[in-house]
Order: sequence, then structure tokens, then C-alpha cells
Amino acid sequence: MTTETTKMTARSVQVFYGDNHAIKDVDVDILDNTVTAFIGPSGCGKSTFLRCLNRMNDTIDICRVQGEILMQGENIYDPRVDPVQLRAKVGMVFQKPNPFPKSIYDNVAYGPKIHGLTRSKAELDEVVEKSLRRAALWAEVKDRLHAPGTGLSGGQQQRLCIARAIATNPEVLLMDEPCSALDPIATAQVEELIDELRTQFAVVIVTHSMQQAARVSQRTAFFHLGNLVEYGETGQIFTTPRDPRTESYITGRIG
Amino acid sequence: MSLLAQDTRTKRRNAAERRFRRYGLTAIGISLAALVMLLTSVFSSGLGAFRQTFIHIPITLTESALDKSGTRDPDVMHKVTTIGYARVINAALAQAIADNGIVIDGLTDDDIADTISKEAPAQVRDAVLANPDLVGQTVSFSILANGRVDGYLKGRVSLESAAIDTKISTRQLALADAMQDKGLMSRDFNWAFITAADASDQRPEAAGLGVAILGSLYMMLVVLCLALPLGVAASIYLEEFAPKNRWTDLIEVNIANLAAVPSIVFGILGLAIFINFAGLPQSAPIVGGLVLTLMTLPTIIIATRASLKAVPNSIRDAALGVGASKMQAVFHHVLPLAAPGILTGAILGLAQALGETAPLLLIGMVAFVREYPGAPPEGFFDPASALPVQIYNWTQRADPAFVERASGAIIVLLVFLLVLNATAILLRRRFERRW
Ligand SMILES: Nc1ncnc2c1ncn2[C@@H]1O[C@H](COP(=O)(O)OP(=O)(O)O)[C@@H](O)[C@H]1O
Ligand SMILES: [Mg+2]
Repeated sequence: MTTETTKMTARSVQVFYGDNHAIKDVDVDILDNTVTAFIGPSGCGKSTFLRCLNRMNDTIDICRVQGEILMQGENIYDPRVDPVQLRAKVGMVFQKPNPFPKSIYDNVAYGPKIHGLTRSKAELDEVVEKSLRRAALWAEVKDRLHAPGTGLSGGQQQRLCIARAIATNPEVLLMDEPCSALDPIATAQVEELIDELRTQFAVVIVTHSMQQAARVSQRTAFFHLGNLVEYGETGQIFTTPRDPRTESYITGRIG
Repeated sequence: MSLLAQDTRTKRRNAAERRFRRYGLTAIGISLAALVMLLTSVFSSGLGAFRQTFIHIPITLTESALDKSGTRDPDVMHKVTTIGYARVINAALAQAIADNGIVIDGLTDDDIADTISKEAPAQVRDAVLANPDLVGQTVSFSILANGRVDGYLKGRVSLESAAIDTKISTRQLALADAMQDKGLMSRDFNWAFITAADASDQRPEAAGLGVAILGSLYMMLVVLCLALPLGVAASIYLEEFAPKNRWTDLIEVNIANLAAVPSIVFGILGLAIFINFAGLPQSAPIVGGLVLTLMTLPTIIIATRASLKAVPNSIRDAALGVGASKMQAVFHHVLPLAAPGILTGAILGLAQALGETAPLLLIGMVAFVREYPGAPPEGFFDPASALPVQIYNWTQRADPAFVERASGAIIVLLVFLLVLNATAILLRRRFERRW
């Protein structure tokens, strides 16, 4: 079912935080209907690069991005691109579950509302239900849609955030260590969900757990000190890494 | 080394801790004692202002004295001044004293008349002009007693002090005793203290806080309508939108400094800009409100920025992540979460403004104002007083009766401040959110 069409293409991307050169000349292709994992030691720039893909780095004053990232042939860093419009197409789930302190319903309905995706309350209800179902949360919350989202458990909150991200019907879903704040059971649920989501989106996931990368991803990119060291099929990266640095990392010698 | 015995080091540490606790308790004790002393002194000297001595007598409103034309036309009856009414009242009081069989050696008609407040004729005149049909009837009135008589009933004036006081005699005090016995005179709750306008030096018994409360209220309205939106808008811009560079740092430092500028400086500024340059009227609540707005702005900005900062960034990220614009993120998510803190800051700023005196003195709010300001918005330009200025004003008056009223006014001001602070606490409790 992997169709192998390229969703996003990054070419010679450089990121600077002031004088700190955080991403050095990175080229990556993000494939549709594929889970791409970014792995690498802490501070190597995984999050930074992920945030380039939906221009969340724009919110950081000192951050500068060079190079180009194409989405369907258009450079998302073109001055004519409105990052707000881009983020509706490239959704994001953060490391720490961050539901709005509002009801579960309002959390999911917020994106469709501000983008005018629905014309009636009934349609909005439908989108909310569909998103919660796709996030495998519907059964647990359908009786308390108007309870606060912050009252859910950590794993449920993270799935709520996923539901919120997919409610705007994005094409790419970015996840920055989505399971690092979750217990093993919730992690398993989210991982299962990620595999489901792949049927509809291109998913990019940052993880510090190599087992997780091996479990959920088809493609893996290994970052080290701001460089993209190796990028390829997950199986190949984990069994026959080409670069010695990759090998040291996955065998636990650097990290 | 046994655990049951303390070594010298532990002993020293424990002793230091005990000492520190004692210091803390002493400090709290001193503050509490100061507070209790302050409140006791204010309440003991001020509560009397809420009760006033009234003389209860039937007054025959003779037509020949009050409405010679017999038309009952208020326009015509306006010609009779308070002097005419004073005669009627004096006669009524003399009559009432005679009817009740009160006899006091050497008491003259003037003595009797002087126990009545100079304000009483105006009281009766207003009642008659409001209802001309009273003329010709005998109506029961409760009229104000003179401030000295009132002081006697409250214990401020004694027989000894009266002996050396040209404004009151021991005979009059004896009369007051007798009138109390017969139920002609009593101390009652005095709404006029809260509603009436200020009165001249000769009639402290009639002075009230009405104009001052109204003036303060108008100023607070101006402050609320200007400082809150301005302060919140400025803070949102600085906190959420402005780039962090040397200019915004400079602005930040200046706002912090502005909060520490002595309030009298704002008064000078207000005098120069709003009155001398812009030509706004003196003593007007609009000018007071503008000056207090300038003063309150930094407080509100600092409080608002602190509450905006307290909203975790993850909320902003969440909103931006689903494609909200920066403005939507701020207005849909950040601002509602910061609102309780902003409101608390605004209310505390308002409370500070309510008690502010110095800048108002400079813009002429200390003037003696007997007329109530009109309804807003024109009323904002009418002369008015303000609570703290009224307190200051009364402490400057010669008659000791005004001291009591100043303390009473402090009680009123404290009650307002208490209400404001309680509102702030309530809002904080009510809307406090966790995330
Ligand atoms: N907001 C920021 N401001 C300045 N430097 C940052 C910021 N975020 C990340 N960095 C720097 O960029 C580098 C990469 O960080 P990050 O992308 O968070 O790494 P990772 O997610 O792989 O742990 C680090 O050296 C970090 O110090
Ligand atoms: Mg990271």
C-alpha cells in the first residue's frame, strides 16, 4: 500500500539559532503514506528540523532557515506562503500533550472552525466524531464530549491532540516525541494509531527510542550534531547501517 | 556519636532556626498591632459620623410667612429665603419646648434657635418647595441639630468645654438634655453623610460625601474605560507580537520605572497637559480620571504582562500548530487564560487610583464643591471632589466636628477598597484554571 509518492522534499536546509548552526545542509524526502522516523542523540536537531516542515520555527525570533523545502513542488519558505495556511496542511503533535483547557469537543472543533471547513453544526459534529474515531479515542470520550480535555489521562490527552491535528484534514502529520510523556500502555496505543494514520497521511515522527522507530516507521533518518548522517529504509538502517556513526548509535555507543 | 544527643553544630542550627521564627513572629505581631491600632483609631473617631443628632418637632408652615401669594406656585415661593424658614422653625422649636414644659433658667430665644443647624432652614425649604401643598399644615420634621449639640451627644463637647466656648453655652446643653428626655432630640443613622454634598465651615453637621463619592466613581469609570483597554492592548502587543530588541527592552524598562514615579509628578503632568494645554476644566473628574489613568497604566501593563507570561507556551504552540494565526492564538486561547490575572491587576490598580490624593490636589479637585456633577458624559466635565481629597480637605477645617467626618470618610474609603480587593480575590478564585 506504500505508494512511494514524495510529499515533501527538503534541499540543503540550514538552520541557525543566532550563531548556533543547528541544522547543516540536510536533504530529506518525506514520502506519502509512510512513517518517517527521525532519530539521533539529544540536541542533534531532530525537533528543529521537524519544526522547519510546518514553519513553527518562525515563532522563534532568533531562528533563521535557509535552503528550500518543497511541498508538491512549491517552496514553503517562499515569501508568498502564509505559514498559517501551511500549518493547516501540515499538522503537528507535540512532545507534551497540550490540549486547550476547553472541552474535548472544542479542542477538536477548533481547527475546522477557524479554517471554515464546515458549514453547519451537524457537519462540525461529524468532523469531530470522525477525527476522534481516527484517533482511537471516540469510544472513551463519546459520553463526555463537553468535559474538559485537560481532565483526560496523559495517553488520552495525546490522542486528543492527534484528533485535533487531523481534524483540519492535513496532508502531513508531524509528531515530536509524542510518546515520551506516556506510560507503556498509552505508548502502545499511540504507536498502533500511528500505523493506522499512515493510510491517510505522511507521518513524520521524532523519537529517542530506537525500538519505537523500528516498530512504527518505514523510513528512518539519523541525525548527529546537526548533520543528516544516514537516511533510508528502516530495516536497512537498523540491520546494515552504512555510516559508522549510525552503527555506534544504534548499538548504544553514542547517545 | 549517639543520635539521641545533638552535636554542637545541630544545636547551633536549631537555635538559629528558633531565633528566625521568633523574628518572624515579632514582625507579624508588630504589623498586626499597627493595623489594629490604625483601625481602632479610625473606627472610634469615625463611626460617629454615621449617626447624627436630629431634632424632632412639628412645624406649622404658616401661609403668611412662606407663601404670601397663596398660589402654592414654587416659582413664586422661591422668593422666600431660608431666613423666612428659619423664623418659622425657631418659633416651632420654642413652641415645642414650651409645650413639653421644659424650663431652663436664663434660656433666651437666641439660645434656643442656636441649637438648630444652619442647614435646617434649607432642609425644610427644600421639602416645602418640593411639595408646596404642605404650606398651611403642621408637619413633623426631623431637622439637624447644631454641630456643638451633636458633639455634646457624642461626648466631644462637655459642660467644661462649653463654659469657655462662645458657640455654645451650658444652658443650651441643659436644654439638649431636657429635649432628649422628652424625645425631641435623638441620634439617628445619618444617610446624608453618604449622600449629601460638602458643607461650609459653619455647618459641619450637614457635610456629606455625596459629591466626593460621585467624583471618585466618575474618575474610576474614566480609569477603567481608558487604562484597561490601553494597558491590555499595550501588554499584548509587547508580550506577544513585538520583536525582542533594544527598543522593546527600553520600553520595558521605562514602563517599570513609570510605575515607580511619585504620583505627584503625574499631577504636575496632568496640570500642564490636560488643563493648561488641552484646556480641560479644573476640578473635573475627566482630568482626575486621565491623570489617574496615566498613573494606573504601568500597574495594569505589568500585571497583564505577568499573566500573559504565565500562560504556558505549549498553549500558543497548540493553537499555531493547528493553523491559528498569532492573533487567533492570543485572543482565543492566551487571553482567556490570562483574564483573571489581568482583571485582578486592573482592580488593584483601580484600588490604588481610588486612594490617590496628591495628583488630584494639583488639578484643583480640592475645591469646595456643593453641586453634584451631572449625569455622564457631561458630568465628567463638572466640578467634583474625590474621596481621599475630601478627607484631606476635612482634616484641614477648624471645627473639630470635621475631624470626626474625616475619619468617617476614611471608613467609607476603606469599605470601597475592601470591596474592590474582595472582588479581585473572588475573580481570581472563580476563574483560576489549571493546565
Ligand atoms: N529555541 C531555541 N533557541 C535556541 N537554540 C535552540 C532552540 N531550540 C533548539 N536549539 C538548539 O538547537 C540544537 C538542536 O536542538 P533540538 O532540535 O531541540 O534537538 P533534538 O530535538 O534533536 O533534541 C541544540 O543545540 C539546541 O541548543
Ligand atoms: Mg527534541
